[in-house]
Amino acid sequence: MTMHPHSTPPHAAEGVLLSACDVVRTYRMGRVEVPVLKSASIDVKPGEWVAILGSSGSGKSTLLHLLGGLDRADSGTVTFRGEHVGGYSQSRLDRYRNEHIGFVFQFYHLLPELNVLENTLLPATIGIGRFEWMRRQGEIRDRARMLLERFGLSHRFRHRPAELSGGERQRVAIARALMHNPDVLLADEPTGNLDAKTGDTILDMIAEQHRAGLTVVMVTHDQWIAARADRTVHLVDGRVA
Amino acid sequence: MAVYTQLLVRRYLSTRIIPLIAVAAVGLCVALVVIVVSVMSGFLDNLRASGRTLMGDVVISYPVQGIPYYKEFIADVLKLPGAAAATPLVDTYGLLRMPYPGGPNKDVVTAQVWAIEPETFAQVTELDRTIWWKPAASPQEALAMAEDDPRRQQDLSGLYEDAKVLRDRATGRPGALLGMHVSIVNQRQRDGSYRPRNSMWWMPNHEITVTLVPISEKGTVSQSNSRVFKVVNEVMSGVFQVDKNRVFIPLKEGQELLRLDEAPIVDTTAVPDASGNYPVIGTSPARATQILVRAKEGVTPDELRVQVAEAYEQFYLQKSADPSVRTRPPATEYVSIMTWEQRLRDLIAPVEKERQMMRILFSITYLVCAGLILAIFWSIVSEKTRDIGILRAIGASRMGVLWIFLRYGLTIGMVGSGVGIALAWLVIRNINAIHMALGNDAPRWLYVTFFLLAAGSAALTVRALTRSRILSVLLWTVATLALVGIGTGLVLHRGFLIWDPAVYYFATIPSEMDWNNAWITAVGAIVFSVLGAAVPAARAADIDPVRALRYE
Repeated sequence: MTMHPHSTPPHAAEGVLLSACDVVRTYRMGRVEVPVLKSASIDVKPGEWVAILGSSGSGKSTLLHLLGGLDRADSGTVTFRGEHVGGYSQSRLDRYRNEHIGFVFQFYHLLPELNVLENTLLPATIGIGRFEWMRRQGEIRDRARMLLERFGLSHRFRHRPAELSGGERQRVAIARALMHNPDVLLADEPTGNLDAKTGDTILDMIAEQHRAGLTVVMVTHDQWIAARADRTVHLVDGRVA
Repeated sequence: MAVYTQLLVRRYLSTRIIPLIAVAAVGLCVALVVIVVSVMSGFLDNLRASGRTLMGDVVISYPVQGIPYYKEFIADVLKLPGAAAATPLVDTYGLLRMPYPGGPNKDVVTAQVWAIEPETFAQVTELDRTIWWKPAASPQEALAMAEDDPRRQQDLSGLYEDAKVLRDRATGRPGALLGMHVSIVNQRQRDGSYRPRNSMWWMPNHEITVTLVPISEKGTVSQSNSRVFKVVNEVMSGVFQVDKNRVFIPLKEGQELLRLDEAPIVDTTAVPDASGNYPVIGTSPARATQILVRAKEGVTPDELRVQVAEAYEQFYLQKSADPSVRTRPPATEYVSIMTWEQRLRDLIAPVEKERQMMRILFSITYLVCAGLILAIFWSIVSEKTRDIGILRAIGASRMGVLWIFLRYGLTIGMVGSGVGIALAWLVIRNINAIHMALGNDAPRWLYVTFFLLAAGSAALTVRALTRSRILSVLLWTVATLALVGIGTGLVLHRGFLIWDPAVYYFATIPSEMDWNNAWITAVGAIVFSVLGAAVPAARAADIDPVRALRYE
């Protein structure tokens, strides 16, 4: 199916912010082709918290990557506000990830050479040019500090990730994801590497953002965690059950 | 470009050891090339400067028979717009009988004899500067000389004045100037000055016998002629081949010994007079085998050579057309008119080629830089694969990722080049001091320091052993062995001099930085550093962010 990159796909329902329709993704492992997503569809409405629940290897992370523009589907469409994300040029896709999406990963994925404040500032430093940075540096730094303070990290600005606990690292990762006021927070097993208590704290933080209007898509294999979401989508063997 | 590339490059540079190794490698490569080529360039410059010092800008040469009426030709030359001074000389080879006390050893030596007019010769060349035994030019210069330097101890003004006129002014007898190494008397010191081997005996004021062999127009050897000259001084041009072989005597005496002086022409077919003399029918003019010309300021040797060649053509035509002239000058095509550079071509060309070859050979070090940076960056990109995935997830573009690593390479190239140039500058400025230090035994404090450091390192090896840290044991063992090795080397070091003036022409190692070459080398190193970084950078840009995020 060929589509104009920014045209509205026929399936895009009214009031849907982010959607995947019949997406297929197959990975090649040496000479073997492994179909990960076989025909998965999902609609996410603005302000909704959707949990994608599935066992290991069910394709939930792959679906999240497709929704976030990190990967492209072999077939099927991903739309954001009715625009066909798969049709974006590479630079438009980079901008989409930077401006509209905030990623949170299971293993935090902070840059070890940068301190907490610099890690949080990263999306801003990527998204704007040198001159704008010089002009808006103060305001941007204030926002990063405000987010970190809100997440209880005011005493950790100058610390490197290696000096932080797992929970603190994930809080920094969430602050980084929220730095640019994204439309959607895509969280891939955000509590998967944390103990239950710390995981709850992280989920509370996400819930707080959600209450403030943020759209959240969260991947998990734990139904208790999925229960915190507004809605749960089950992914089984590459298809939404 | 976005701010994050600058931030990451700064952090990658400041928080890791590997880039420091890369900077050190680039710096050493740059320093190596700059030092070697600077010394060679300095050597070439010395050679060129010496050429001018020794023979002026243009040399007109007609060996053996010489150029007649040279005084008139010199008068013509001095009218040229480009000529500042000109001097005649007779150049030949001869034998010197040396007056060494107490034995026949090396009594007679061969030498290149230059018969000169000292006054005009000094205007064309820098004879004054090369005269060695003379009073210090200033009190500071005198203080800088060693205590036992004869130039500091004795009043040498008389010798200096005699040297300038090539004559013993007291008696009016002709004098000779010897190259510093013509005799076996002078012994070079490490600071570049000279002392007589026997403190009671030196060459000045002693007499040498110069024997020259005249050669007829037909090319046959005539009866040799000898004359005694008083050694009025010695010269040190800095060019070893000259200082080893050359002797200066006055032009008039040289011409007489070689029968190139003015002489009557007699008619041997006529009937001799009562005293047996044939009738004189003319005069054979005096001759000079070379005329040296110095160019005016701003005139190049090549420009002057053209003017001199034209003047000689005119001179030849005028003399040829004059029926009263019995001895014609040689035709233009038989006379060699060359600039000093053409004349020294045999010497300069190989050095130029060697320098070029060095540049090409040492350019391989650029490839070493590029290879090293490629290897280092390849490992950094592998190690940073997940970071690249994170950056891409946050919205960094492929070009942005590419630029991080290119900029990283650029920074390493720039910092490394800066370090290399600074290091080269330090070494070149102090190259003679370093060379002199190598020539001495190592000072005790230096090897004692190395042994103390080795003892410290050995203690740390033992500590690492007790803690079972294999890497630390290995590193400290290597450090201990290296320090002991250096210390032992210093104890055994008995001093050696690499720069032998007999081989390298000059007494000191050139110590001027070749800045043009330095900049070119630095730019080359930067370009090759960026090229070395380009392949891993492109690889980084091509990394699939999803795979990168899963990279362990």
